[in-house]
Amino acid sequence: MKKIKMSKRALQDFQASVFYHIKYSTGKAFAAASKRDQYKAVALAVRERLIDAMLTTNERYKKQDAKRLYYVSMEFLMGRALGNNLYNLGMVELASEALGAMGIDLEEIRAGELDAALGNGGLGRLAACFLDSLATLGMPGYGYGINYEFGIFKQEIENGFQKERPDHWHSQDNPWLIERSDRACIVPVYGRIENLPDRSGKDNPMWMDWKMLIGVPHDVPIVGFGGQTVNYLRLFSARSSDEFDIRIFNEGDYLSAVEQKMSSETISKVLYPSDSVASGKELRLVQEYFLVACAVRDVVRRYLESHETLHAFPEKVAIQLNDTHPALTVAEFMRTLIDEHDLDWHSAWQITQATLGYTNHTLLPEALERWPVSLLETVLPRHLQIIYEINRRFLENVSKRWPGDPDRLQRMSIIEEGDTKQVRMAHLAIVGSHSVNGVAAMHSELVKTSLVPDFYRLWPHKFNNKTNGVTQRRWLLKSNPELSALITETIGDAWITDLGKLRGLEKYAGDAAFQKKFLDIKKRNKERLARDILGTARVQADPDSLFDVLIKRIHEYKRQLLGVLHIIHQYRCVVEDGLELTAPKTYLFAGKAAPGYVMAKLIIKLICSVAEVINKDEQVKGRMKVVFVPDYRVSLAETIIPAADLSEQISTAGMEASGTGNMKLAMNGALTIGTLDGANVEILEEVGEDNMFVFGLSIEDVKILRNGGGYDPWAYYHQNSNIKRVMNALASDMFCPDDPGLFKPIYDSILTHGDYYLHLADFQSYLEAQEKASQQYVDRSGWANKAILNVARAGKFSSDRTIAQYAEDIWNIQPVL
Amino acid sequence: MELEHRKQDGVLVVKIMNNRLDAQGADDFRNRMSELISGGNRCISLNMSGVDFIDSSGLGAMVSVLKLMGQDGDIVISGPKESAMRMFKLTRMNKVFRIFDKEEDAVLALSTR
Repeated sequence: MKKIKMSKRALQDFQASVFYHIKYSTGKAFAAASKRDQYKAVALAVRERLIDAMLTTNERYKKQDAKRLYYVSMEFLMGRALGNNLYNLGMVELASEALGAMGIDLEEIRAGELDAALGNGGLGRLAACFLDSLATLGMPGYGYGINYEFGIFKQEIENGFQKERPDHWHSQDNPWLIERSDRACIVPVYGRIENLPDRSGKDNPMWMDWKMLIGVPHDVPIVGFGGQTVNYLRLFSARSSDEFDIRIFNEGDYLSAVEQKMSSETISKVLYPSDSVASGKELRLVQEYFLVACAVRDVVRRYLESHETLHAFPEKVAIQLNDTHPALTVAEFMRTLIDEHDLDWHSAWQITQATLGYTNHTLLPEALERWPVSLLETVLPRHLQIIYEINRRFLENVSKRWPGDPDRLQRMSIIEEGDTKQVRMAHLAIVGSHSVNGVAAMHSELVKTSLVPDFYRLWPHKFNNKTNGVTQRRWLLKSNPELSALITETIGDAWITDLGKLRGLEKYAGDAAFQKKFLDIKKRNKERLARDILGTARVQADPDSLFDVLIKRIHEYKRQLLGVLHIIHQYRCVVEDGLELTAPKTYLFAGKAAPGYVMAKLIIKLICSVAEVINKDEQVKGRMKVVFVPDYRVSLAETIIPAADLSEQISTAGMEASGTGNMKLAMNGALTIGTLDGANVEILEEVGEDNMFVFGLSIEDVKILRNGGGYDPWAYYHQNSNIKRVMNALASDMFCPDDPGLFKPIYDSILTHGDYYLHLADFQSYLEAQEKASQQYVDRSGWANKAILNVARAGKFSSDRTIAQYAEDIWNIQPVL
Repeated sequence: MELEHRKQDGVLVVKIMNNRLDAQGADDFRNRMSELISGGNRCISLNMSGVDFIDSSGLGAMVSVLKLMGQDGDIVISGPKESAMRMFKLTRMNKVFRIFDKEEDAVLALSTR
């Protein structure tokens, strides 16, 4: 592993930087500095080193006129930065020793760092992992996002209910952010179109009376492992333009002017929680456009700094759209090329398509963005014109390919007709991009065959798969230092940048001495987590019990409810049947529900209520514990994942695009219990069926059950006594004695409203898989063998592999070393 | 809004003396130009070389002036800074107005019309 040499000089230099920043950046004497001041000074000292490398990296790219990739995403779930930066710079030991000598505890200040939680879940964390891999591979790749003042809300649990609190993560006072006021962008919005003929008498739509926003970039340096390459994540804050306010100021209406300023700055105020995005909120649309407009302007500006014309743009620039959220890039880029750079439509369209790639992340119809035409007309009148023209030309081509097929035209149109005309953002993204990818093999197949089969028939060459991955630097090296050390001691450290090397561990899977070390580490990780959850969730977990972990956003399709139904079943078996559990178990849940998602929030309450009843029931003898750990976030995941024994990936088949938690958990030696959904399928291929607990319906089964109309949850209820008992317990108010009927909506969703997510259809199979897991867990050596094989075979799930595939197949970018 | 104007080769050469053409001065600019047009000036060269900033109100005022000129008049722009030029392109006004780097070229174009 490359490390900064721990010379006396290097130690002293680092100490001097920290002293300097305590004094001059926080304005305090060393002795008066608080922990937060110490953190800030250490971060700034590390940042100096990042900036040095960032400048040399940029010079290297410029010298080679390297093609650059811009990853445009409404979410970047970065988590904490200090530890990660130190690991990637090879400075952990140096910093620890240097700071220790100054009386500063590195671990303590690392633990005090706030997560940068600018994302909801998998999609945002994927973007963060990709940035780490791009830098580690030495590739010119940048993230473009929004500098939300408030990231995803902080979750508190009060009496079992989720309460949302604002997450103020210091967007303006964050030591990692470098403000670039000199690179501020003008973003026009709203207004109207006035048609005034141009000088040759042709139609000339002019965009008039817009309001002006200013996008101010803030760069977060992203260091790759080894410290040689430092790229950045550019986050834009919305500011009001002084010019915009000046008339009102001059008219003496100070308060109106300030209100207008505030409304402009509201654009980057808050990240929308998922599941409340698609509800047609004007502010969200403006946010999406704000990001896109800033990104396009910035990217074009940079390109033109070293190129005369735009014709070779796709040879030097690739832009990847992370889901449909930035799909307006298609229209904004076309507008920029045609209106601002005088390109003809044909040339502009060629450049746009050759530059853009689109990643689809979901098959859920409600999560596919659609914006009312009327709203777009108000917010972006010129863009709507362009979208109409793109659609007109596109449908003309479809008509040529399939003459006389109006149904197909209607299905494929970017504009959805109906009572409320809407723009289908996924169609816009597909039409405007040269590549459309899904995020796991199975998901990519479903995109082609179920989601947009017409588009696949038209352009089969556009469609491809890029199975997601996660960065092993954060999710193993940093979050599980003891296991990392064991791996390195056993097979060397090449796995840090080449995860496939973990295969070298296979031959140790059956080695008793290695198994012991492996299990000891897992135990210590579990003890650490048990201490944490005693503090946050007030539950005493037994580190010898099987830690069964279900951590992810709360959503019905992810089926936390199936996990709870199983727990209720186990509990009733213990108290009614006198069953001795095969293995003592701690069921750990964590995850946030969107604030407006009533059912998801009720599921959290159910978990907490079930936990309360079981945890204090003496008949259980402490062999079952249920814990809901509040405020799931990256840093919490980093504590839970290394301690997990069993990884719950139990979505209804066909509904999870990929999942990445499944990869992180397998990489840390948790065995997966899961359905054949998303990337679980590929995990199974890699780790083998002996090392995973697969259960439940296949995608085909799900289709047949749903489409055939033959699914009757009542039939399962009547035929399966386990199901009947669990559902009766749910209906009996056993878990809500003070609030009778509280969980009736959950009961009804399953038995009365058709159980859309097929909990009951999968229940028995899930029970059996759970029992199998428990039986295998008690064979400690056998379990260790399987867990080690999970680690050894997780190589495919590195985001380094994913990025290398994107780079070769879609972006055509190279390492610049 | 301060405007300087003079006649040259049958062309009214108007120079905007303020460095901003924005919401604050847009109405005044429109009115002043309207007076000049009503006074019989059918060929106007508008020197914008001193304008650092123009917003959508300023751009709107310019379009109004263009409309006031009617079919038989002509107005051209000279010397816009990059910041103003960016705004013209943003709105596609550069396709409506003839724009020259230098004032003498603008005057020449109008005087030989």
